[in-house]
Amino acid sequence: MIESLQLLGHGFGIVLTFDNLLFCLIGALCGTLIGVLPGLGPVATISLLLPATFALEPVGAIIMLSGIYYGAQYGGSTTAILVNIPGESTSVVTAIDGYRMAQQGRAGEALAIAAIGSFIAGCIGTLTIAFAGPPLARVAQSFTSPDYFSLMVFGLVCAVVLANGSLFRAVAMIVLGLLFGMIGMDVNTGMPRLTGDFIELSDGVSFVAIALGLFGVAEVICNLEQDTTRAINSAKITNLMPSWAILRQASGAILRGTALGSLMGVLPGGGATMAAFSSYALEKKVSRTPSRFGRGAIEGVAAPESANNAAAQTSYIPLLTMGLPTSATMALMVGALTLHGIAPGPNVITRQPDLFWGLIASMFIGNLMLIIINLPMIGLWVRLLRLPYRFLFLLIVVVSSIGVYSVGNSVFDIYLMIGFGLLGYLLRKLDAEPAPMLMGFVLGPMLEENFRRSLITGRGDLSVFIQKPISLAFLILSVALLISVALPFIRKRREEVFQDE
Amino acid sequence: MKTLMAAVMSVAVLASPAAMAQEKWPTKTIKLIVPYAPGGYTDLTGRITARFLEKDLGQTVVVENKPGAGGIVGTDLVSKSAPDGYTFCVCSVGAVSVAPVAQTTQYNPLKDLAPISIVSTIPQTVIVNPKLPITSIPELIAYAKANPGKLTYGSSGAGGLMHYSVQLFDTRTGTKMLHVPFKGGAPATAAVVAGEVDLSFTNMTDALPQMEAGTVRGLAVTSGKRSSFAPNLPTVEETGVKDFSVESWNGIIAPPGTPQPIIARMSEALKKMAADPEVKEAFAKIGASPVFTTPAEYQATIAKEVAQWTDLLKEIKSTKN
Repeated sequence: MIESLQLLGHGFGIVLTFDNLLFCLIGALCGTLIGVLPGLGPVATISLLLPATFALEPVGAIIMLSGIYYGAQYGGSTTAILVNIPGESTSVVTAIDGYRMAQQGRAGEALAIAAIGSFIAGCIGTLTIAFAGPPLARVAQSFTSPDYFSLMVFGLVCAVVLANGSLFRAVAMIVLGLLFGMIGMDVNTGMPRLTGDFIELSDGVSFVAIALGLFGVAEVICNLEQDTTRAINSAKITNLMPSWAILRQASGAILRGTALGSLMGVLPGGGATMAAFSSYALEKKVSRTPSRFGRGAIEGVAAPESANNAAAQTSYIPLLTMGLPTSATMALMVGALTLHGIAPGPNVITRQPDLFWGLIASMFIGNLMLIIINLPMIGLWVRLLRLPYRFLFLLIVVVSSIGVYSVGNSVFDIYLMIGFGLLGYLLRKLDAEPAPMLMGFVLGPMLEENFRRSLITGRGDLSVFIQKPISLAFLILSVALLISVALPFIRKRREEVFQDE
Repeated sequence: MKTLMAAVMSVAVLASPAAMAQEKWPTKTIKLIVPYAPGGYTDLTGRITARFLEKDLGQTVVVENKPGAGGIVGTDLVSKSAPDGYTFCVCSVGAVSVAPVAQTTQYNPLKDLAPISIVSTIPQTVIVNPKLPITSIPELIAYAKANPGKLTYGSSGAGGLMHYSVQLFDTRTGTKMLHVPFKGGAPATAAVVAGEVDLSFTNMTDALPQMEAGTVRGLAVTSGKRSSFAPNLPTVEETGVKDFSVESWNGIIAPPGTPQPIIARMSEALKKMAADPEVKEAFAKIGASPVFTTPAEYQATIAKEVAQWTDLLKEIKSTKN
């Protein structure tokens, strides 16, 4: 502990030079910008800036590239809250209550809580890397395929909790999402599946295309159907900054979200997404008034935003302590480190202490910079909503198209987005919610992959799922959660059905 | 729809003034398509290459990532691009020599691609979980034979080089190991570290830091020659396995029909690149060695590999029947 503090002090010594502070600021600024633009993610930006870092010192380069990554987490919620466009899977749940808040004229409040939650989570997540990195990495390593499968099952049950309306429709939407997730190459045989001979679909449907279509484009169509002279957020914008009462109300959610995010961030694949979804489900479960969720509950913004930012921070743990990347962005960081002559592996902490502790110290400073950048911008973002809708919807469509194209440089994905926009419109007319569908879509491929891998390594024996303690625990949790969701639902069904939205 | 597109494209090609403009090539930005996601080995190779070509050709060279289907999407795109000397592919062995054999691709690697030069090679490394009582290739073979079907190996996906090289190993040595596909080489390596699978034939870049830390045990390299990055590891052939040489390469490939003078000029630039000390250092950092081949040599390499994998598939099928 004392030694870690000393090393952290050493890290601050490295960051607090003019050059490194500048790189940190550039990273944070770039990250904020791309985070705000839906679809335009850290992967595209970091790969674009990677060649520019060739000339830099390795520590400076990694500080800047990391700033882009966690900076993007701050901006990611902005469009989700303002115009119902979650640019990344981690901000899908934020859109549910955040957008409602914006419609009620509380966009400023939602954005501020998202930023404050992200800041707190970012700092705690960074502390977690510094003091609990190696043990957490070992926990993550003890997760094998059956455990992931059960974790994904748990995630799907959480997706049921997300739903506000009919339970039946929520389950139907999850299944629809799972089906869309089936499209693409079969992992075990390498054969294309349900791709309709479109080579563009061989890696599956692009997440950004489906998310921007179902949420953003569908929302635009629905709004255009109504009187376009009416601004979407016709309600008067009340508070830009949250009151103490709201802050207090959100504080529990922020801390719980941070804890969940810090833990789940170390898991490969869907760690951050799962953290955001399950923290929302947790808030809805612990709340004394769960009916507020989906209707503009501040906890519904605070928890997932804190969770995804904490997870963004702790997803560095497997990379820095073991050299194992857990996501596309982390794989890119491996590439960046390798190009700078540092092979990320289990020896990085001992052989490159300057890099490890410098990076950690830079995360504190970067998070501080981000909150300073983001809070004053809220006023600006909220003013954007005052734009007449005939301009705003064009802006949304153009920015979404650019974002969706930038992911794989593919025009096909823009067509997909339009298609999903139409589907999303249809689903709205049927009163079906897109969030559970997206959750099914995200978790489906991982669920299948881990299920099949478990059966290969377990030689076809289904009991592997109950023999592993972690897996068994998640399965029991899933069943318990499912029962707790279904019981009151069945009881309350009559009143809910007639309740006005 | 697709035939129509192809027809439109070929008309556009015929009408293009590329043939006349090649004297002064290059006069505008050159596009290097990388058929994989950013950050991977091929992407890094592409970025190093782009930087050198910019200096040598005096034009901007941009890298464009077109990931999908293990590199097939981007490679297919280049095979259908206008052969005007402004689009090239940083191709890799997987999509060029393995995928057309293992799956159906719209391009025939021997006809629809114009290879210019291999720019870098990287051997695969045989790694096992250190808890296994296996320290060499002969021990691996003996263990696999004593426990048939017990050993599991991770790969980057079915039909990829990491999968096929183990299948080739199985056929050459008479062993039988169980395939566990992952989505990419890095998760497969991570699974060996965690002990979820027993071994993997993974690329040197992923393997090196883990071998140094002792989290995996390196047994051999799959290439014909030892690697300067791990000179103490023997080649698989040295340990007594006959006719086994697998190497991952990245090379620059043009769309078919690209004018000869442009190919010649590009080849000349890539020859200079292979000798450039800065490039050598950059490749060393990613665990690769710079290479130069003539277009004819490159074509011959692809032909040899395609034949090798085709034979392997036939062998596997015949033993199944």
